Amino acid sequence: MHDRLTRYLLLVPALVIVLGTTLWPLVSAITTSFRNWRLKRSPVPQGWVGFDNYAFGFEEPEFWNALKVTVVFVTLDVLIAVAVSLGLALLLRRAGALQSLTRAVLILPFAMSPALIGVSFRFMFNGEYGVLAKSIGWLIPPLADVIWLASPGYAMAALILSDVWHWFPYLTLIFLGGLAAVPVETEEAALIDGATPWQTVLLVVLPQIRGVIAVALILKTIFALKMFDSVQTLTGAGPGITTQTLAHYVYTIGFVHYDMGHASALAVVLTALLVGIGMFYTRLVMPPKAVAR
Amino acid sequence: MNARSPLASVAQSAVLLLFFGMIVFPIVWMVLTAFKLPRDVHSLNLNFSPTVQNFGIVFEAPWNIGLRIVNSVVVAFFTLAIGIPAAIMSAYSFSRFEFAFKRGLFFLMLATQFIPAVVIILPFYLMFRDLGLLDSRTGLVIVNLAIVTPFAVWMLKGSFDAVPVECDEAALIDGASRLAIIWRVVVPMALPGVIVASVFCFILTWNEFIFALILTRDKAVTLQVGLVSFRTERGDLWELMAAAGVFITVPAFIAAVAVQKHFETGLTGGAVK
Repeated sequence: MHDRLTRYLLLVPALVIVLGTTLWPLVSAITTSFRNWRLKRSPVPQGWVGFDNYAFGFEEPEFWNALKVTVVFVTLDVLIAVAVSLGLALLLRRAGALQSLTRAVLILPFAMSPALIGVSFRFMFNGEYGVLAKSIGWLIPPLADVIWLASPGYAMAALILSDVWHWFPYLTLIFLGGLAAVPVETEEAALIDGATPWQTVLLVVLPQIRGVIAVALILKTIFALKMFDSVQTLTGAGPGITTQTLAHYVYTIGFVHYDMGHASALAVVLTALLVGIGMFYTRLVMPPKAVAR
Repeated sequence: MNARSPLASVAQSAVLLLFFGMIVFPIVWMVLTAFKLPRDVHSLNLNFSPTVQNFGIVFEAPWNIGLRIVNSVVVAFFTLAIGIPAAIMSAYSFSRFEFAFKRGLFFLMLATQFIPAVVIILPFYLMFRDLGLLDSRTGLVIVNLAIVTPFAVWMLKGSFDAVPVECDEAALIDGASRLAIIWRVVVPMALPGVIVASVFCFILTWNEFIFALILTRDKAVTLQVGLVSFRTERGDLWELMAAAGVFITVPAFIAAVAVQKHFETGLTGGAVK
């Protein structure tokens, strides 16, 4: 039957797009990473330099700084966002006016642009008139004099807060979807058997949405590792470079210093890191048949 | 959770109210700021006299937000007009046929999402420089396809899987071609899924920042990158940023709210069965 051919033809447009817009750039970046190419000095690539562009690991404190910032950011961001959204999803399971009201706004932060979120939070964390900085100072007096975006630890906290705000409502929606599939009977049975509400949630409900939690973790981790937009618009990687993520560091080398060879090498390392973590995660939590189906 | 005592119930309501406030507050604050005069922006006083002048100022030079809106709309439209049909066809193939390397190819689609935008943009920047596509909407559409297409394939396969194969078979017997089946049978039946995928991709494209930041200077600057221009030597013009923010936010909110009830299955739909 001509379906034999059709199945491949149907794949062509999307495959061409995906190969052309993601794999070709990757291959091209790998090639460039072995060349000397400073755009300010030459419009065309210069000589091959072997692994020289990869020497950053030994001579660049900025690279290690970016790696450290990324690890700290990703760890805290993912844990906080997932924990908060799980908690909220559990609260939202019951019917009620307040529940419906909250559910109705869950989609909004996710639809907002990360660049705009960065700008808004920079405004709200302003040391003189930022409404968030002032409110936090009022609630927790020791923090009243903190200039958030000018103090390293606090700038990181602001960055994490803004990203958690962007993501936790959407993750809550995902968890609500998962929780809806959990049969009420399992919970009732546990309660009748004398389990406390906490035990029921931890030992009966959560294990049943393992798969959904895993997907949410992967999703959030990947997006956190790629974090760039609100770093640029909220902290500008500062103060100094204390909130400079790897993605932002690649950007700086590539489009502020215009060192294409070096930026490509960094980009390749960042991709390897992401693919490595992504594969590891996916293997860990997703049975192969779920993908194959 | 299980609130049995009145105290627990009150506590639960208080927590929910707090969450509600946390979610809407930044949005409300931005909207309020957009209606403030410059002199009111630096005050936390809610008792200010609102003005709509900011929404006019952003359309004037040097901000020219009208042009930015056109750029954002054109880029989003063409990205979806190319990306979604391409994704529909390949998602159908993934959903209905068996072929060599199917699992590998499907996984490859997903794996491309692990590649950070900053990696994709390096070679494209160099190529567009040679082709004269820097600061062009065409260039932006090309790179935006990179983020939109794989997601759309992933989401659409899930909704096509839910359409019974018998529908295809009935149409085949009636002599329909595969393309006709896709557009006249499967897409209409999976329409909610197609709309959710399109809305999701619209939001991704509309909110895209790093590609536009690097690739555009002037002519093709989008709304997102336009935000950066309100950072001037005179300081940040927050009220104008907020007004521009309203223009950024409204279309995305409308799109998201319209499909809200389907949204939770969106990203995970293809994965969790």
